[in-house]
Amino acid sequence: MSETGTGKTEMTARVGVYLCECGPNIAGKIDLDKVMADILSESDRYRNVELVIRRYGFLCSGPGKQYLEDEIKENGLTHLVVAACSPRDHDSTFMGVCARTDLNPYLYRIVNIREQCSWVITDPEEATERAATYIRGSISRVLRQSSLFEKPLEINPDAVVIGGGAAGMEAALALSSDLRRVFLVEKSASLGGGCGITMPQEKAVIEDPNVDIYLETQMSSVIGFLGNFEIGLKSADGKDEEITAGAIILAIGSDYSDPQESGRISFSESDEVHILAEAERTLEAAGDLKLRDGTMPETIAVVHCVGREEQGYCSGVCCSSSLKLAAAIRRLSPETAVTSVYRDLCLPGADGENVLRMARESGVELIRTKGTSLSGMELDLEKMDGTSEKRSFDMIIPAAAIVPAADTVSLAEMLRIPLDEHGFFKEAHRMTDPAGTTTEGVFIAGTAHGPMSVMSSMRFARACAGQVLTRLVPGERIVPEVKVTEILEAYCTGCGNCLDVCVYGAIYADTDRGISVVNEAVCRGCGNCFASCPSGALRTRHFTNEQIFREVDEALR
Amino acid sequence: MTQAESILVIGAGIAGMKASLMLAGPARKVYLVERLPIIGGKTIKNEESFPNMECSTCMVAPIQQAVLQNPHIETLTYSAVESIEGSAGDFSVSVRIKARYVSLEACIGCGMCFEVCPVTLPNEWEESLIEKKAIYVPCSGSLPNVPVIDSERCLKLNGTEECNLCVESCAFEAINLEDEDRLLELKVGALILATGSETFDLSALPGLGYGALPGVYSPMEFERLFASNGPTMGEITLRGSGAVPDRVAIVHCAGREEQGYCSGICCMYSFKFVRFLKHKLPDVQVFNIHSDVCVPGKNYEDFFRSVNGGDTEMLFTSSIADVHVSGTDSGLRVAYPDGGGVTADLEVDMVILAAAIIPAPLTARLAELAGVELDDSGFIRTSLDGSGSMETSRAGIFTAGTVEGPKDIQSTVIQAESAAGQVAFLMSSMADLTERDPSGKSVKS
Repeated sequence: MSETGTGKTEMTARVGVYLCECGPNIAGKIDLDKVMADILSESDRYRNVELVIRRYGFLCSGPGKQYLEDEIKENGLTHLVVAACSPRDHDSTFMGVCARTDLNPYLYRIVNIREQCSWVITDPEEATERAATYIRGSISRVLRQSSLFEKPLEINPDAVVIGGGAAGMEAALALSSDLRRVFLVEKSASLGGGCGITMPQEKAVIEDPNVDIYLETQMSSVIGFLGNFEIGLKSADGKDEEITAGAIILAIGSDYSDPQESGRISFSESDEVHILAEAERTLEAAGDLKLRDGTMPETIAVVHCVGREEQGYCSGVCCSSSLKLAAAIRRLSPETAVTSVYRDLCLPGADGENVLRMARESGVELIRTKGTSLSGMELDLEKMDGTSEKRSFDMIIPAAAIVPAADTVSLAEMLRIPLDEHGFFKEAHRMTDPAGTTTEGVFIAGTAHGPMSVMSSMRFARACAGQVLTRLVPGERIVPEVKVTEILEAYCTGCGNCLDVCVYGAIYADTDRGISVVNEAVCRGCGNCFASCPSGALRTRHFTNEQIFREVDEALR
Repeated sequence: MTQAESILVIGAGIAGMKASLMLAGPARKVYLVERLPIIGGKTIKNEESFPNMECSTCMVAPIQQAVLQNPHIETLTYSAVESIEGSAGDFSVSVRIKARYVSLEACIGCGMCFEVCPVTLPNEWEESLIEKKAIYVPCSGSLPNVPVIDSERCLKLNGTEECNLCVESCAFEAINLEDEDRLLELKVGALILATGSETFDLSALPGLGYGALPGVYSPMEFERLFASNGPTMGEITLRGSGAVPDRVAIVHCAGREEQGYCSGICCMYSFKFVRFLKHKLPDVQVFNIHSDVCVPGKNYEDFFRSVNGGDTEMLFTSSIADVHVSGTDSGLRVAYPDGGGVTADLEVDMVILAAAIIPAPLTARLAELAGVELDDSGFIRTSLDGSGSMETSRAGIFTAGTVEGPKDIQSTVIQAESAAGQVAFLMSSMADLTERDPSGKSVKS
């Protein structure tokens, strides 16, 4: 460690600049003494600023952190610049050091003179000069930074689940306890959703003392953020109620596509064409599938992939459902010949293989085609060997695609969350946050997210529950982002550009005052609005124009 | 902190890391045990992930950093669980932390030590397509970026000679050749098993030529061949000749018949390989020899359509089991029965086999240690009650990710979040954990 002295003394700001040698990794290339001397030689450029510049072996080591802490305290530093490695490695380390002193961690800045200087610039002189430039820029910037303070918020651990199908019920059961109430809101008059079968969770949900069930009820309004939502409910008989909760789980399910959307499928009302979900329900309820005249069909064709082409995705569950239904018909009415017509069999996992075996063993005829058309009760099968065949059946069961539920659009608008290219709720990140949305505290479960099996729906529901259980812990508080955007009311013209670009729904219009207002608990500081503001009324804390421009000015000087 | 507030997560891939981050906090400590010297799992081997073709490192590195910097997660790399005793809320687990010989605190990852090491050995992490030293990090960008010494191959440690070059090269005094294994006894309330999976051993399919014909690649080999931090720095060149391939065949469903299930992700990674190939070699011709195309869910068909037609020719075969790859004077020949059952021939210079996802070799051993059931395919069994629960057959032990069966990253993360939620629920209701109902919840008294 060496020391090269301090600058002037009558100053108000005391900026500490600490250069980490990182062993030979920085000091082996960069002449740190020269960097320090160069910066000190120009210290009269900074008015009312005293510079303390020092170097140290390893600032990230235990003794290094203690050294830095002591330096901040002993020198009464008002600002801190650490010239070391990538912020990815040690930004949080040095913020932690600041937090142990009176120095606000947002009055500190790390400069990367290792990955961006010593490791990538071959010429030592150039690396030394570049390091000095970066540090000068950071001194300039840190002087314009402001203290920021975390404001922990009390939370409400309760959750609202919209939709009483398999996913909604599973989410409710996974969440409810004596520590947490669940409000289960279902649009129709009964639980169960679109599965077409009685779900085993129904009894448990009804008996659960911590689940409040609202039937024939819909969400009519929502405001708030993770931990604190106010939700308006409207029942079919017109009654309004307001509830509060910390999270909202969207489990509204899905619909089926209209088979005739496809140009290759046409039939009339009187034809014996019944979509798969209907046939499943009938078979479950009646134990067999009869024609409208009450007689048993001699031949049935199940047509896979109806709607796949038009929707632009494979629903992933229809092959399994189709083959299960085909096998069930064979089992219940062995005299009925059942044919499954498919292009690709999508049967992932051991369960899929079992379904295929079951269908084969029960005598279902499987026909692979390149394409299939339906006209009335006659199928035109385009076979893999290039031939084609026309065959008529007594009953045709198209496996229609899973499509977004009708309510998806209005709920998305109410919650200000985007839809994906197919019209389902869009997840926050397809892979790393698939159950979350851009609105923190709003989660997606089941086929409201996209086509999936009942098992996957329940897993999504449990993932939503997992987010709530780990983030909204009764008695704990949450800390919202502090580097958020603020609006300088005097400059705001209320044009509303910022409202349109805010993906988090954090900005609203105050029509009385003719300005936009940021809800700081919802804002994540992405800066979209900042770029869209024509009058310079927006400022993202810790990333202000002033801070960035002064840093760039210094770097380009 | 009592054991009821500590959790052990085994496996630091994306599932284990996500679950750890969700659970760790002032009230809960997480021990994250990883067999390898680095965390990140299989995802970081892929330069890009389907369907967004997002940079996997950019996606995973922030998660890795968050894990390593979280004060409530103790990450134990290069470690293995040796025993699991007890019951839900009160498990005793012993973990062996293998001697790394390099200090995680002192080392800064400058890499001087591997420059001087005289021993070279195959780098298995890079599918043995490149060599490493006896002191090594598996790949550039490893996290933690701290090497480890292969004690069986290090000249000093295996007693061959008094080599001390790495120790002398280290400016940080981070290398200690006297380092020893340590045993750690942990008290935890719950466990999450997230040790991932493997790809099918292609040498068991001699007809496809893997191992015998240098131009035939496994999917992981091809991932590394494309990776810019991989053995060829991302240049797609053929093993042996170093030539750039002109015609590539991707053969689907390798191992499906043998395993008895469709893995559900191989079609997608095969189509990703088409993108990889066309991205770096715009004139390459790519053929996909397939039977069923399995691209389930709202995200995948679009991706399939984007490669089908322009970038690859889809060649249907009526029997994947009858596909045969052989060597010719100029390259490789793929023979397959076409849609009419007639054998067709395809001349190519590279073949990539879309191998099935199978249980990792250590899964059975882990299941035995943990006392949990496996399913018929050898994956860890969950949801015994059909409820979507991530609990295994042993109360208090949960699982997530491909150790439970083949799946994509999205489903893996969903399972990790589910498991974390169930552990959190269990922890908060530990006091009245006397009876359990089939849904995996504790029964309230």
